[in-house]
Amino acid sequence: MSRRRQPGPRRLAAFTVASTVGNERVALARVAAAVSACGLSPAQLERLKTAVAETTMNAIEHGNGGDPSLPVAVVVDQDGDGLVVTVTDEARHGSTTAAAAEVPDLDAKLAGLQSPRGWGLFLIRQMVDRVEEATEGTRHVVRLIVHPGDGTGTAEARL
Amino acid sequence: MTTPFDVAVVAIPGGVALELAGEVDGAATEPLLAAAEQAAASSPPGAVLLDFTNVSYINSTGIALIVSVLARARAQRRVVVAAGLSEHYRQIFDITRLSDFIEVCTDRDGAARRVADAGG
Repeated sequence: MSRRRQPGPRRLAAFTVASTVGNERVALARVAAAVSACGLSPAQLERLKTAVAETTMNAIEHGNGGDPSLPVAVVVDQDGDGLVVTVTDEARHGSTTAAAAEVPDLDAKLAGLQSPRGWGLFLIRQMVDRVEEATEGTRHVVRLIVHPGDGTGTAEARL
Repeated sequence: MTTPFDVAVVAIPGGVALELAGEVDGAATEPLLAAAEQAAASSPPGAVLLDFTNVSYINSTGIALIVSVLARARAQRRVVVAAGLSEHYRQIFDITRLSDFIEVCTDRDGAARRVADAGG
């Protein structure tokens, strides 16, 4: 009996950016170009762009401490029916993990009980279908997973 | 291609408009907070219109800045109205609950009417 083999992930892009504020926009643009033919709805694409920019900014500012000599690696794969964007930093300065992050509470922020900041990880989680975090060797890895054409796991469905 | 942030503070019937342009991110911190200060000092105190028509990008730092502007306006019991947000950023205003505190209008004219009603 023959079994059809599942194709492996298809690499759409792989690049690095220096840890300089502003390079999150470079990552955003390159990922958007790489996934342009993958069937994302315009709304999904906008959400993925926001998630990529915020994840890359966290890697630049927190993981790599804004040290321009440290790279942030971005890889885009198409795996089955999902798109996976992997953002890796050097974890030299302590990454902000989703688990450790304070949940932003707008009432508390408006009352001065919470900093106005702290929206990045919250937005990332809301913008894609799934977020995975891992430590691989000495590096901090975040994977953003989106299923084109399927808004069931995103903020679109949660609203 | 990035577009630097800019903001103009304009008196309108019933309040004041902050006309934002470019990218609302960390680089917008100083000019946006200065504009909010100027709006807060306007007399008589009326409603505040945040006009995003010419804004191309807002990141999490920009959201934090908008929270700061909103907090300041609420401390003065001012109504805050927004106009010109794209569908994506309207969704972000919903997710963050900014739209619970900022009345989001589809266009500048509707927002200006709301400011005139609220501030007049």
